[in-house]
Amino acid sequence: MRKIETSLGTYEIPDAPIIKTKKGDLKLPALSAILVPIELVQANNYNPNHVDDNNMKLLELSILENGFAFPVVTVWDPDIEKFVIVDGFHRYQIMRDYLQVKQLPIVVLEHDISQRLAATVQFNRARGVHQVDLMGDLVRSLFEQGQDDEEIAKQLGMDIEEVFRLKQVTGIAELFKNQMYSRAWEMQEVEDIG
Amino acid sequence: MNSPNGKRGWMQYMLKQVYINKTVLEAAKERISKVFDDFPNICVSISGGKDSTVLAHLTLTEAHKRNRKVGLFFLDEEVVYESTIKQIRYLMNLYPENTINLWFQIPFNLTNATCLSETQFIPWEPGKAKIWMRHKEPDSIQHYPWDKEKMTIRDKNKGFGFYDAIENFENSRENTAFLVGLRATESPNRWRAVSRNPGHKDWFWSTKMKNGNISAYPLYDWNFHDIWKYIYDNNLKYSKIYDYMYKKGMGLQEIRVSSLIHEKSFKALVELPEFEPKTYDRLLKRAKGIQVGHIYGKNNEILRARKLPKNFKNWMEYRDFLMDTYPDPSKKWIFEKRFKNHLNNNYVARQQCRQLLLNDYENNLPVDNKPDPREETIKKWRELL
Repeated sequence: MRKIETSLGTYEIPDAPIIKTKKGDLKLPALSAILVPIELVQANNYNPNHVDDNNMKLLELSILENGFAFPVVTVWDPDIEKFVIVDGFHRYQIMRDYLQVKQLPIVVLEHDISQRLAATVQFNRARGVHQVDLMGDLVRSLFEQGQDDEEIAKQLGMDIEEVFRLKQVTGIAELFKNQMYSRAWEMQEVEDIG
Repeated sequence: MNSPNGKRGWMQYMLKQVYINKTVLEAAKERISKVFDDFPNICVSISGGKDSTVLAHLTLTEAHKRNRKVGLFFLDEEVVYESTIKQIRYLMNLYPENTINLWFQIPFNLTNATCLSETQFIPWEPGKAKIWMRHKEPDSIQHYPWDKEKMTIRDKNKGFGFYDAIENFENSRENTAFLVGLRATESPNRWRAVSRNPGHKDWFWSTKMKNGNISAYPLYDWNFHDIWKYIYDNNLKYSKIYDYMYKKGMGLQEIRVSSLIHEKSFKALVELPEFEPKTYDRLLKRAKGIQVGHIYGKNNEILRARKLPKNFKNWMEYRDFLMDTYPDPSKKWIFEKRFKNHLNNNYVARQQCRQLLLNDYENNLPVDNKPDPREETIKKWRELL
């Protein structure tokens, strides 16, 4: 149990439960999340991650539809007396600016500054990408379940153009079927008047 | 100067593009038919791309009609999309009785644009069979099929490269027409060079080579949409990469299916995990620098030298820094020697930075060595004002 004195009261952070893994003990800070006033939380000044507007809207939608499933990851900085964000800046931004909540669920790691920097990058970059053809299958099956392009676009944070392209089953060649063949040309020798 | 048909005199002649009363399809079929009439041996270079797919299909159709055989030549760079390999196999299986498979899986040097410590990549490098991207094909050509004594190498510094492999292959044949899917609209500069001197009869769409060989370009007047219409009309398969990239919203014209790591194609690494995750995973183990290409392939500072990093005053300063820290001493002198003859201005230095960042010791992206156009404009305005 850690006790943290803040300007807005004392917060108690339960010890993170531990489970066994093939590679040793594993801490589960996810299970010792606490709810704090959002003004005690502050962005770090080094996060290189950027989320564009479309994905911010998608993140908002995700939080509204699925609930706030992942606490924001922080460390306590005694100098400024704030919980500084290690991962989850954009979730924090949605809660603060888009949804204007008063409180935020966080977990508090005990990292020093270099561990913090590394952790931020680890959280940001250790992520997968969507395979284009499977994404296409997914969009098509939503379409077949009766959702229209606009609903799909909103649900998945895409623009209409992307939905249209992904759901095209036919492929590129199909786009050109009604074209006429061009006229052939040759190189002919002419006198150069100029 | 000689005019194309050999006339000489005070009159200047020039070549002009004249439209004729045929479609590009009719004209291409006629050109290919003429090649069959005049050459005992025919060989189509295929890349897995759309243009060579169309050319191979047209040529094979004619070969089938005439009960002849044509070679399908593919120089396998190993580090290519799986979809490219599928396409090559598809083309070779279209008319097997009319096809001579010339699938080359031999070692040669390729530039690795994304890695500064391992500047050259050797496809099918002996001793590395365990990490090759794929097994070799059972029917491929796996040893240099030419006299090693007579093997030519254009540039000793670079070693035996991609174009050397093609050249030695071509020179090992005789009386052969090598057909290539070059199109004038796509490569105007190359087309201009080709059309200057006919390689055979009045075929301005061919160039002459050694041993009675020519290379010929029957699709030279085809436009982009003609290629796709032909593929649609004949129900041909094509590399899935085109559909993937289309779905990703890329301009159709910028899609390439060639090697994944050289200085003109490393941008493909950005999307590769979304298209062919297995190819990407294998590539990570096979070549160095792949992750850099994946993450920064479209970044304006790291690989493309479009934006000056904020810690440098100007491109000259950045170039000097990159030069000082260039990690491979066996290649560094090549840059030093080349840059010595260049002007020292921001315009030139930015291009030098790009060469250093992309490891382009082969000079595949040549530096346009001229006064900085921006400074010139400023100077002009200053004089005016």
